Amino acid sequence: MKKVSFRNDVLPLKNQLYRLALRITLTPEDAEDVVQETMMKVWSRRQQWDQIESMEAFCMAVCRNLALDKTRKMTATEQSIEASEHDTPDFSHAANPEEQAIQKDRLRLVRQIIDSLPEKQRSVMQLRDFEGKSYKEIAAIMDISEEQVKINIFRARQTVKQRFLQSEDYGL
Amino acid sequence: MDYKYIEQLLERYFQCETTLKEEEILRSFFSQEDVPVWLMKYQALFAYETAQEQSLGDDFDERILEMIEQSKPVKARVLTMTQRLMPLFKAAAVVAIILTLGNAAQAPWDRGWDNPQEEYAKFHQQQCDSAEIMGPIQAENLLEDSTTKAIVPEAPKY
Repeated sequence: MKKVSFRNDVLPLKNQLYRLALRITLTPEDAEDVVQETMMKVWSRRQQWDQIESMEAFCMAVCRNLALDKTRKMTATEQSIEASEHDTPDFSHAANPEEQAIQKDRLRLVRQIIDSLPEKQRSVMQLRDFEGKSYKEIAAIMDISEEQVKINIFRARQTVKQRFLQSEDYGL
Repeated sequence: MDYKYIEQLLERYFQCETTLKEEEILRSFFSQEDVPVWLMKYQALFAYETAQEQSLGDDFDERILEMIEQSKPVKARVLTMTQRLMPLFKAAAVVAIILTLGNAAQAPWDRGWDNPQEEYAKFHQQQCDSAEIMGPIQAENLLEDSTTKAIVPEAPKY
């Protein structure tokens, strides 16, 4: 019977966990390892599943902590190099190739800026802007106060906006 | 198209005062084709948010489930209360069956109650040589009956 509910929580959460892990580790391979470890850890705690209010928050918290542990083993320089090597997804409404190229560049730039933020800010941004979680949920996952969540999101958005607009201006 | 509203939302967004719904509005606005020029600089920001495609394949699922299968021996089966009482129920059922059969076995197998009148009469006509065969109590009953001449009621004819 436990197996069934694991199935129901593996499939929906794995991508969400992967995105969060990726946001923290900045490496796809590490992120996948983290998600795997998260699953195993959650599975090993199945005796306590009844006591957990939100499986989602629990899994995300475990994932985040494992990802943090992993990144502490990595050096800072490794992180920034890896960041620029990701393939950006093709988001383009413009017909002509020039516009597409510009758009791709912009997206890569945004990614770089976000990846260069401190981990807390990166995580809250990921959880809020990408995963659409409420402040309350984010506070639960990250084990910080809601006020802290808001502060981090504020700083993250401001930084991204500033740096993005700066480079846009320079670029043109 | 009223861009004032969008601009307001943007301001609030950067002040972290927007709700999730409002952020959703911003996102869908920027995913359109015709974004006004002065707002285009923000487009990449919100576009990026909707463009995340990283995902794990289905083989990931299989791998995880495999790993779990391997760790199964360690898994302790949680016994529910019902499961624990089940052996008791089974035992009770067996005892009940035995008792029922035992009871049924005590009744005469030659279907003596088809005509109790006959049986009764037969019983009392028994010529016994000694009381030992029938037992002291039954011998006494016989003696009593013969003196009081018990009247056997007519069995109703069905």
